[in-house]
Amino acid sequence: MNLPLFVFRGIEKSFSGKKILCGTNLSLYPGKCILLSGKNGVGKTTLLKIIAGLETPESAEIEYDGRINDWKKILRKVRKEIIYLHQQPIMFSSSVESNVAYGLRFSSLNNQQRCESVKEAIEWAGLSNVAKIQAKTLSGGVQQRVAFTRAWILKPKVLLLDEPMSNMDYESRKQTFLLLEKVKSTGMSLVITSHFLNYFDDLADQHFRLMNGVLDLTNNY
Amino acid sequence: MNGLILTTQQALQLLFTGDPELWSIVLLSFSVSLKAILLSTPLAFLVSFALSHGNFPGIRIILAVFNSLLSVPTVVIGLFLYVLLTRQGPFGDLKLLFTQTAMVIGQIILCFPILVALGYAAIQAADRRVWETARTLRAPPWFSMLTVFFEVRFALLAAIITGFGRIISEIGISMMIGGNIMGYTRNITTAIALETSKGEFSQGIALGLVLLLLSFLLTTLMSYLQGQKDFLE
Repeated sequence: MNLPLFVFRGIEKSFSGKKILCGTNLSLYPGKCILLSGKNGVGKTTLLKIIAGLETPESAEIEYDGRINDWKKILRKVRKEIIYLHQQPIMFSSSVESNVAYGLRFSSLNNQQRCESVKEAIEWAGLSNVAKIQAKTLSGGVQQRVAFTRAWILKPKVLLLDEPMSNMDYESRKQTFLLLEKVKSTGMSLVITSHFLNYFDDLADQHFRLMNGVLDLTNNY
Repeated sequence: MNGLILTTQQALQLLFTGDPELWSIVLLSFSVSLKAILLSTPLAFLVSFALSHGNFPGIRIILAVFNSLLSVPTVVIGLFLYVLLTRQGPFGDLKLLFTQTAMVIGQIILCFPILVALGYAAIQAADRRVWETARTLRAPPWFSMLTVFFEVRFALLAAIITGFGRIISEIGISMMIGGNIMGYTRNITTAIALETSKGEFSQGIALGLVLLLLSFLLTTLMSYLQGQKDFLE
């Protein structure tokens, strides 16, 4: 196995005095997919948000580039490399094209490169027919694909997907699955939370169950 | 009855013949109130955002203070500023009393809590995921904040319109610290009060009509914005 991209150690988090995560550990490898399961409210989303730098843990350490860092010190780096996708994605009030281009504003690409990149990403995701449409008016399944493309275009090292296939019909699930396969083959690390484990049998390399604040490896495919 | 009809006719005549005195009063009102709203909006919305997305102690107390300031009578603000700006007051040396600047300051104090409270409500109504999505897509905090503002732009515009409607129709501050000086600090409301006390109703009614028309336009604009918001959602 390759060296891990990130190793998260000792993640602690509580809400209203109740411990949700108790020293949770997780290693993310390039081109590997981790499936996370667990009961509702067990802390899966919280764990993903902490990994993405969107939620503050009480304590956590991150191993990156062979060095162990305090969570706060490496937060900026984490945010550059890891992108989190919500269960129900938020579309900004603009076209699909503008939504996909959102994060590129903060890259070093010039205008022309950005346009080309957006066009390529939209074609890659099969969204060309809705590129000019107001993103908020699209169905949940297509919005999920737009959100996915919007993240993929930034080429993060890790993509965190929170219940990516909930509320999707069979066709949308199939298309999203194909996109996930394509992404994984490019070397991106994926972490997916889901209640529908069989959807990801062919994609996941490891399956962890979150229980009592710790991750339990239940399957190594 | 005849008197009322005659006065209204005279008022309309003043309005439509472009009476310079009347229109200078209208212009001054708009100038002062626009300056006040433009100066207070950015900071007020920043405060709203900090209260909505911040995580620091005392947020509830600060919100309660702003909410209670919503109903402060304008004469109290006028009195407070008068005491500060009068020649014997702590800021007397600035010689701001009975100036447009003093009126602008007073109106800023009046509309600031309105903008903060309504801005806070608007931003709170925005999904937290907007901020999170912007941040995870590598937007810096200031751009993520602008993204949230853009997503609730109609509600924020409605807050600005409400604030503007409140300050252009206030009289307590303008009278007490403006001094109702013709051509300098006389605005629509102080002019109406003066003309009415003199028994000259025609100019008062004409100015009243301007305020009513403005109120109608602002309400229409708010309904339109509400419609736009519903359409997008």
